[in-house]
Amino acid sequence: MPRKAADEIVIALAGQPNCGKSTLFNAVAGFKVDVGNFAGTSVAFAETRVTFHGRKIRLIDLPGTYSISSHDLAEKVARDFLLSGEVDALINVVDASMLSRSLEFSVQLTEMRVPMVMCLNMMDEAQRKGMEIDTSRLEELLGIPVRTAVAVVGTGIDEVFRQAIRVAGGVVPAVEPRYDNDIEQALSRLLAVYPQALKDALPLSERFVALRLLEKDEDFERKVGASSPDFLARASEERHRLAEREGRAETLALGSHRHGLVLDLYEKVVRHRRGNVLGTREKVDRFIIHPIGGAITVVGSLLITFFLAFFLGNAIAGLVDVPFGALRASIQAMPKGMGPAVLIGLFEGVVAGAGIVLPYLVPLLVLLAIFEDTGLLPRIAFMVDGILHRVGLHGSSVVPLILGFGCNVPSIMATRTLENPRDRFVTMMVAPFVTCSARSVVIIALAGKYLGVLATVALYLFGGLMSMAVSYSLTRSKKRKSLGVIMEVPPLRQPYPRIVVRKVWLRLREFVLVAWPVLIVSSLALSLLSYAGADATINGLLSPLTTSVLQLPAAVGIPLFLGLFRKELTLIMLGAALGTDAIGNVLSNGQILVLVVFTMLYVPCVATLAAQWREGGFKTAAASALLNLGVSIAVAGAVARFVGAA
Amino acid sequence: MEGETAAIHALHSDGATRKRIQSLGLFEGRRICVVARAPFSGPLLVEDVATGARVMIARDLAENIEMESRAPEGR
Repeated sequence: MPRKAADEIVIALAGQPNCGKSTLFNAVAGFKVDVGNFAGTSVAFAETRVTFHGRKIRLIDLPGTYSISSHDLAEKVARDFLLSGEVDALINVVDASMLSRSLEFSVQLTEMRVPMVMCLNMMDEAQRKGMEIDTSRLEELLGIPVRTAVAVVGTGIDEVFRQAIRVAGGVVPAVEPRYDNDIEQALSRLLAVYPQALKDALPLSERFVALRLLEKDEDFERKVGASSPDFLARASEERHRLAEREGRAETLALGSHRHGLVLDLYEKVVRHRRGNVLGTREKVDRFIIHPIGGAITVVGSLLITFFLAFFLGNAIAGLVDVPFGALRASIQAMPKGMGPAVLIGLFEGVVAGAGIVLPYLVPLLVLLAIFEDTGLLPRIAFMVDGILHRVGLHGSSVVPLILGFGCNVPSIMATRTLENPRDRFVTMMVAPFVTCSARSVVIIALAGKYLGVLATVALYLFGGLMSMAVSYSLTRSKKRKSLGVIMEVPPLRQPYPRIVVRKVWLRLREFVLVAWPVLIVSSLALSLLSYAGADATINGLLSPLTTSVLQLPAAVGIPLFLGLFRKELTLIMLGAALGTDAIGNVLSNGQILVLVVFTMLYVPCVATLAAQWREGGFKTAAASALLNLGVSIAVAGAVARFVGAA
Repeated sequence: MEGETAAIHALHSDGATRKRIQSLGLFEGRRICVVARAPFSGPLLVEDVATGARVMIARDLAENIEMESRAPEGR
């Protein structure tokens, strides 16, 4: 992270997953970061610079964490950053509707003695659940400003930041949470012998350090042990005594006391109005989690996605095609030469983006954003987990894989939520076999147009089966039992149009700003290569694969090669390479099938490989590339033989 | 057992798994109920009675959660 400027204050957002932290961040930052309703989406740091009430603020969105323990890497990273002294104020974002669970984390945060404000988010949700929260009492008990907000609609945020600026740099929580006698006595015995060497080595609240040791925080044991081994031994003794008295494991000795403290807090500030909570939403939720209703929901969502992309996409593509068709005819009528070659290249690239990709991409992105935002995605994961478990997938890998239908890159990144390295590896290997939206575009545009709806549905199912087969064969030999899923299921929410639009825009922007220029440049390059006669050389190099194995015209070499950069390129370049958009005139239906199958299975795009490299190392990326290449050649080659013989 | 509520008596697991279970709010003493079971031996959907928070948990993990047997004197 860059050093902070002198006149800037640093404010960090900390909270549990799904508390609406990212939403708050985005409301302040504008269109800068991706928002997620899905457990574990905000794993990385995000930051922005804003001016609020005349103060320059560097706002940092920490990864969503459940506690400040050092077990989880994200939790440790977030905690270390808060303790680093770089943070002037901390905004603890809390899902008010889940207050009892969130308070645990908030209490831990106040123990760090960093200037802090609590933002009680999702107050609308809490009220709907019949909760009445006495915020001034909560303020008093925690010793920090508590402000309410509904981040999705943007209310209350201003006041939260005003408070954060007020406390920044000096006002630590006015109260230190008091535990029951057993803990407090152990603490005072420890603080009485707190060594000076440790104060110098670790400039943190002494009470906080002692509490971390009572909780058996291994990271702090190391830090303390380095300068004050005797004190560490004393703390272990106290912890041991506590654990023994209660007959609990040492790691729990403190946790259960804190839990008691929090329950007590909760009961003091929250009143429940009973009776009126069973609304339509609950009825819908009951339907979704019912085995039959759930099956209908899962199949229904897939079908809706598919047909929307298919029919709506085709309709839009048809509309776009008409004006462009006329223009294309007049360009192609020009005499051959360098100029027209450039023009054709540019034209085809632009048309490809507008006329082929956008009609199919936009509907898919809208639906995916709605699924994410409503909380439907974790419910789908709940329903299909049992099936996926049979093919050796970790239950939690359902989520990353479903995300993969949008794009494989976030799906690779979402594997971070898997704790077991083996599960994570398998999921990363399977992820590229999930048909992402880019490949959906190719399938729908080629198979949908030339092979019909049924064949397209069948190809999708085939893609799903291939992923399962890969997973099954990768995990079959592995004896180690994989851990089961444990995951939060957030309440169903209505999708907020603002957030859906933002998500779609963020993903679309990536396409418009990054991919589309690549498309246009590649199209131009292809057109020039073709004008110079060099495309034959590349096609020639690839011809053992294209003509011999796949039994396709050598001209598909370049489109397939370009598909490595961006799968849509295959589709777009195909028209250019074959010299016509009426692909059905050049390729037989069998050949189109082979081409689609190969495109579905061969090496994912460079972006996915890069993500695999970053997340799992070079070997993972290389193994995945080889696996995809092998499977695609074998399967598409077999299809080619079968189709050729038929 | 579906729909019935009971308090968690003990969590029979350790280390990271235990932390994970607890971090989602399943502590000793919390009253929970099973809201739904996913098909094909899939996970259970468990609800914390007091907060309404829901968590899906694989059956083999759920086996580590020992529920309090109903007290004979009743409440």
